[in-house]
Amino acid sequence: MRAKKIIEYMRQELGPDVLVVSAPRDRRVFINIRAEALRKAVEALKRKYPALRFMTISTVDCGLHFEFLHHFHVDGVVITLRSVKPKEENLLESIADIVPAANFIEREIAELFGIKVMNHPKMRSLILTEDWAEDKRPLRKPLRGILPPQARRVAESLISMGCVAPISRFIERRREAAGLPKTPPFAFTDEENMKELHGIIKEVSLSEKVGFDWEKKRLRYR
Amino acid sequence: MVKYALFLGCLIPMRMPSVEIASRRVFERIGLESVDLKGYTCCPEPVFSRLIDETGQLVISARNLALAEELGLDIMTLCNGCYETLLETNETLKNKSDEMLRVNRILENYGKKYRGLIKVKHAIEVLYEDIGIEKIRECVTKPLKIRVAMHYGCHLYRDLSGDIMRKPRMMKEITSLTGVEIADYGLERLCCGYPSMQVDEEFSLTHRLLPKIKRMVEAGAEAVVLTCPACTIQFETGQVLLRKRGIQYEIPCINIMELLALSFGFSSRDIHLDLHRGPILRLIKKVEGD
Repeated sequence: MRAKKIIEYMRQELGPDVLVVSAPRDRRVFINIRAEALRKAVEALKRKYPALRFMTISTVDCGLHFEFLHHFHVDGVVITLRSVKPKEENLLESIADIVPAANFIEREIAELFGIKVMNHPKMRSLILTEDWAEDKRPLRKPLRGILPPQARRVAESLISMGCVAPISRFIERRREAAGLPKTPPFAFTDEENMKELHGIIKEVSLSEKVGFDWEKKRLRYR
Repeated sequence: MVKYALFLGCLIPMRMPSVEIASRRVFERIGLESVDLKGYTCCPEPVFSRLIDETGQLVISARNLALAEELGLDIMTLCNGCYETLLETNETLKNKSDEMLRVNRILENYGKKYRGLIKVKHAIEVLYEDIGIEKIRECVTKPLKIRVAMHYGCHLYRDLSGDIMRKPRMMKEITSLTGVEIADYGLERLCCGYPSMQVDEEFSLTHRLLPKIKRMVEAGAEAVVLTCPACTIQFETGQVLLRKRGIQYEIPCINIMELLALSFGFSSRDIHLDLHRGPILRLIKKVEGD
């Protein structure tokens, strides 16, 4: 019952910024939120529950993104705010001004993952030596998705063109010389067909799973 | 007239158009009408796409099937990989109504729907079952006097009947109509190594491709007859990579459609056979003389 009330309140306060909620037990609540709404969510909790106790922040390097789990405790219920940020952004908004106890764990995250914690009141070394190399953070993995190197070009080509073997000028010329159209009647020869294919790919989250950047038309990792 | 929607796939039209050219010449000669599938996409390729996202693979594949269904035609593939992907999608959707619903829920957002009304066939099956051996035999005007080894390709063994040799037998019989002598070398069923090439080049070349080529050459084969474009790439580029390891083999590859076209009297120039990356000139000389 308590969990349900917390969820209802957070939905009301955050609206569409709440993405998914679950309460596997009455005293456990998971709320997935948009990363941009993190501070708003913490402020809302603090406002409603003055006895809110900050527990910790868990950070998970998922290869292509960081998952941040902000854990709180209120009135016997553990609440976890889950937010996700692309690794390229490399940012976490500090909540230390709202809940001062977050100060140390945010410094730890900054150090061990090399994540920039924005607006932290006093960012300085906590565990590692001051001269620790920026590019050798102990808990940080390389930017990497689920595809092995050999599959990356195939996936890029499949997603961007709907075809795994892009055609060369030479082949185009030879096709024409043989009386064939320059390219076969592939979807990429028609804008509407490509819109359809890209719509399907986005809808089934294929591009998201493999980490495809639609603007650059390539994978976010090589 | 026998009529099919032609699914060209990616590799054949983009990397080895001589196979497409030869196929079109052969279809015309034997009276098989092939209708191009406008707006088609990759089948999608059967190795990675299924592992990444099964729903995505099913929907993209079903979209291709829906294009053929809109034309009211069964689909015919030239490529073994496309054959397997489309055949398996078709069977999944026909037999699992929940999958069909799930896939159509997505396709319907784009004005498409697949009802499961069409069949998927490999060109080998179409030639054998719809056109018939006699008709093909009639079209052979220039029997080819060469000794060849067959490489059927793993996906050709996939068969709904459970008889995995059904299509390889058809392929062998059609090949023998061209006048060639077929050299049995005992490793026909061994994979060429194309899929393992993506993971372990050494294994792929020395434990898959090399034993096959060795046995083919020992059996006196002057060329390899294939139907799968991926296997063709493996044989052609694999021999180049083996040379870098000090292993010298120069056995040309020819697609069964190209072989048929030559035996139907088309010249190697007509079908642009020089587009092959392998030592095809030696084979052309042998077939056509200097």
